Amino acid sequence: MATVQSQPEMTEGGPPPLAQGTPERRILRSLAADRGAALGASYILLIVLMAALAPLLVKVSGWGPYEFDQSAVDPDMAGAPLGAWGGAGLDHWFGVEPGSGRDIFARIVYGARVSMLIAISATALTTLLGVVFGLLAGFHGGKVDWAISRVMDLLMGFPALIFMIAILSAIPAGNRAVMLVVVISLFGWPYLARVVRGQTISLAQREFVEAARASGAGGAAIVFKEILPNLRSTIIVLATLAIPGYIGTEAGLSFLGVGVNPPTPSWGQMIASSVSWYSVVPTYFAIPGAFLFLLVLSFTVLGDRLRAVLEPGGAP
Amino acid sequence: MNRTVLVRLSMVATAAVLTLTACSSSGSSDSDSDDESSAGDGSAFTDTPAEGGTVQMLQNADFSYLDPARGWDGGVNNFYRLVYRTLTTSAPGNADDANAIVPDLATDLGTPSEDGLTWTFTLKDGVRFEDGTPITSADVKFGVSRAWDPEIGIGSPYARQVIDAPEGYEGPYRSGPLETIETPDEKTIVFHLKEPFPEFGSVVSQPNFVPFPEGSGAGDEFITGLIASGPYKLESYSPGSSIKLERNEEWDPETDDVREAYPDAWEFVIGLDPATIDERMLAGQGADVNAISGSVQPATLPRLQGPEMEDRTLRFTGVCTTYMGLNSTKPPLDDVRVRQAINYAVDKSAVQVASGGGQLADVATTILPPTVGGYRDYDIYPSEGHTGDAEAAQALLDEAGQSDGFSMVLDIRSQPKMQAQAEAIQQSLGNVGIDVELNVIDTSTFYETIGTPELQNDAAITGWCPDWASSASTFLPPLFDGRNITDRGNANLAQINDETVNARIDEITAMTDLDAANEEWGQLDEEIMELAPIVPLVVEGNITVPGENVTGLHSSPGVATGGIDLVLVGLRDPERG
Amino acid sequence: MLRFLLARLSGLILILLLVCVCTFAVFFVLSPDPAVQICGKNCTPELIDQIRANLGLDEPLLSQFLSFVGGLFAGRTYGAGDAATHCAAPCLGYSFQSSQPVWEMVTERLPVTVTVAIGAAVLWLLAGVVGGLISALKQGTWWDRGAMLVALSGLSIPNYVFALVLQYVLVVQLEWLPFPQAVGFAADPWQWFANYLMPWTVLAFAYASVYARLTRANVIDTLAENYVRTARAKGLPSHLVVRRHALRPALTPITTIFGMDFAGLLGGALITESVFGLNGVGKLTADAISSNDQPVIMGVTLLAAFFVVAGNVVVDLTYTALDPRVRVKSV
Repeated sequence: MATVQSQPEMTEGGPPPLAQGTPERRILRSLAADRGAALGASYILLIVLMAALAPLLVKVSGWGPYEFDQSAVDPDMAGAPLGAWGGAGLDHWFGVEPGSGRDIFARIVYGARVSMLIAISATALTTLLGVVFGLLAGFHGGKVDWAISRVMDLLMGFPALIFMIAILSAIPAGNRAVMLVVVISLFGWPYLARVVRGQTISLAQREFVEAARASGAGGAAIVFKEILPNLRSTIIVLATLAIPGYIGTEAGLSFLGVGVNPPTPSWGQMIASSVSWYSVVPTYFAIPGAFLFLLVLSFTVLGDRLRAVLEPGGAP
Repeated sequence: MNRTVLVRLSMVATAAVLTLTACSSSGSSDSDSDDESSAGDGSAFTDTPAEGGTVQMLQNADFSYLDPARGWDGGVNNFYRLVYRTLTTSAPGNADDANAIVPDLATDLGTPSEDGLTWTFTLKDGVRFEDGTPITSADVKFGVSRAWDPEIGIGSPYARQVIDAPEGYEGPYRSGPLETIETPDEKTIVFHLKEPFPEFGSVVSQPNFVPFPEGSGAGDEFITGLIASGPYKLESYSPGSSIKLERNEEWDPETDDVREAYPDAWEFVIGLDPATIDERMLAGQGADVNAISGSVQPATLPRLQGPEMEDRTLRFTGVCTTYMGLNSTKPPLDDVRVRQAINYAVDKSAVQVASGGGQLADVATTILPPTVGGYRDYDIYPSEGHTGDAEAAQALLDEAGQSDGFSMVLDIRSQPKMQAQAEAIQQSLGNVGIDVELNVIDTSTFYETIGTPELQNDAAITGWCPDWASSASTFLPPLFDGRNITDRGNANLAQINDETVNARIDEITAMTDLDAANEEWGQLDEEIMELAPIVPLVVEGNITVPGENVTGLHSSPGVATGGIDLVLVGLRDPERG
Repeated sequence: MLRFLLARLSGLILILLLVCVCTFAVFFVLSPDPAVQICGKNCTPELIDQIRANLGLDEPLLSQFLSFVGGLFAGRTYGAGDAATHCAAPCLGYSFQSSQPVWEMVTERLPVTVTVAIGAAVLWLLAGVVGGLISALKQGTWWDRGAMLVALSGLSIPNYVFALVLQYVLVVQLEWLPFPQAVGFAADPWQWFANYLMPWTVLAFAYASVYARLTRANVIDTLAENYVRTARAKGLPSHLVVRRHALRPALTPITTIFGMDFAGLLGGALITESVFGLNGVGKLTADAISSNDQPVIMGVTLLAAFFVVAGNVVVDLTYTALDPRVRVKSV
């Protein structure tokens, strides 16, 4: 998958000249003033709410994500939904899945849980790994740096998609969601670590770090008190920009059949099973496709704008 | 039927393997299991083609092997008939009894000795290889002996299982000629068997009974090339993308009662996306009017409904049973009542819809599919509309002390259709308190898991096809003979080892009257189902939309586990396209 | 410079070896037994053992690995006596599924993949760099906003979704393009072009989006640099300023990512090739994974890793040549 953009373009150069303790309010205000960012944030909020309130929502809509409704499909037509728009109507808001007659609205709502949970967990794990190894490499230099950098080279030189599929399909089913997070993070952290490392190296030579060192502060103290706070905005931006990549990766892996275990719904899986139906029931393909596209777009826009606010010198 | 291809067969992404049978026009959603009336009302498909032209076959996956000692599956067996001949073969799809085995290179179905241990065949006159050399009994012997080569003989196992061979024999390239096959003269070949095998006349229809000139086919010679004995020879082969066949002028139609070989050439276009194949077949532009393909995607069905499309749609009943094996060594599945309850509870109608609905799949209530010799219709776990009988199931579960239900793990391959089938089962078993956990694994892990009793979980969905359709002898014994349970590569998923069943299998296998044997197989089918080792789910058929210019479309349940019998196909107008 | 080159080359070989080890570990140690799948329906434990012996899987893992690496550099001989076949270096072994030599399988499909990569690269460089440049020069206009919106969509739409939408609209609904068909360029140039047009577009869309955003940002940055301002102040015409002073430094970082992206594509575009039925390395990979064909997976992984690592070296060299300020970093 050549286009899963899990690595935001970020230069390796020096850190942004950021004053310590950015006033959060200013950031929020300028984000709210930006129409794109505001729209993106609202859509994300909507999906998060949808995911959180999924059990409640399906009570209102009347159909659970696993309930078969054989009366909504035509058994002689390979289970094609009865009625126009993929069987959409008052009963099934977004129509039904061909074959089983399961409610698409319910599956979208529950699918949002999977997407968000996996993407956010993977981002958290990636960020943790990336920051730890980036700091270690950048601050210690020498052999530690050499070793970590080679591991990063290796991981980035790997055809990651092939390996993700291979590892996921070789291991027994078990808890796929956890495995997805682990595998995505395994190949994802070097992109963040590389940036953190670069910035740590240049921060370590700054006067305030020198000063701290001169005043006898230990390594840990310098890292946590002086360097880490200065990396905060970079990390926030990179993490925000990583989320859409991981949402796409999770959907892509599910699309390829190595995602979460059925019958757990996932948007990627829904798209995969809709492929053969797209000329008969276009909505079956269009609905999860649109939800996925908009979510990735929203995170990308938000991350972009966040960067513009936090790092005025950065990319657009 | 090789597992690799069973795999390919059921991948959504696969149109390569035609597992079709019985020709009847679409529209009637009821299955027409009478496969012997090949024409039905779709006479347009069974006109006599004209001589000449090129027929195209569009498919997703490549054939397994050009070498008939290596390959052995539905798709490739059908292809082999275009280029190779065997001692006997399945009757052509337009025969009165398409399940039968008929002579091919041999003059008859072979003559057994009194004790049934020696079988003698005589070759026809005028049979030749593509270079014009006559085919002799020595060539047949050489071809068969390749089955013992450890590297090459990975195809059909019957030759090795049935024919007597010296201890440690490893094929002609390593161990020299196979002395237990005698060739008293150029036309006569004599086989010595380990034990009497009344169906040996069917065994010699297997693809590894293809003759080859002595000394040929060593190493990887037949990986990209072949030596033809049938009506076509290889013009070119680019693995993964195309195979072109041209006429073998040395093949004499006078010697062949099976193959019509109307077209001058064949082109197999490989590696196409299944959805693309459907779109091309529906559109039928240009040379695609001369094309055939495997079954359409279920999603294409609703588009075949107009009167214009209905006339172009060809429906076939399947020859393979899709079933759920229940591992009888795992409690509580060791209790026959629990297994029977599961048989009652499964909503087969939902499984049918998941498999593509009434047009693509028939509900199965028996182990044998209707197209295999010995089939007998019965349903000992009946329910209204096949939707499952939760009450009957619950009663049995109560009796077995499982009123509160239990949970079980169902192994399935990560493949959309199989997942849909599994989800339908999961849903219906949930109604009687059985909590099914789906273990979705990739194909190779799947076969290792279900074929290794130590790794096997509680249940698995898989399928079985006969190796020849004239009897159930390649269907029931491998799946239910308890003495066949092995620690790896095990096919008896239920691990059922019932002395009565084993004894019945021995009894029927020894019968020399094959019709009487088929009667008994049909009885045994039901006797086995009393033990409920499996839940028969569906028999998946196929629907195809052949190009307008193609005709001579007959199905054959025998060759290639059913399918459009390629040797009868031809064009109406060879100049078109 | 020579020392730099040598260091990079040894680094390349080291990484390839590590990729070898990891691939081997994942596919030969972790993965299920391929013999079971090949064995087929009427399988017996004896037949499984026989197939394992044929495939060389009965050997200890370490010696399997060593003979693989040996074959890579010196070739290896399979079988013995009359049936022996020699596989010349660089020998990647034989496919478990079709018994064909992996090296041939890969090289036969490489031209398709290269065609996909080159066509897509031309498209995305044109669209990305030109689009980004115009956006930068017309910063804040409707053109700029529109182009950046398109670029954002390009970043956000999963390529399989885009591929399917494109095929549905252009082929199924509008019938502007014919269905993909395997033909040579000479046989039917229009069909050939039509086969590749959609894969090119799908791949190019995502990359062009990244490039447009990057180009725009870089050009805006350089235009703000002092020396460019000086040039402007000296009265140099605007297009000359852009051409002489702004473009080159702005494009240097593009070369870096271009090298990497292009090299990555040479390893095969798994999804795009599969969706459009192009018989390239990517489709070979997808098929090999689904049939657990370990030697083929090994082969394509090594190929992909080789391109990425070699691309890295080429990029470093070009970068040094383009921008003398870049100091030669030691590896």
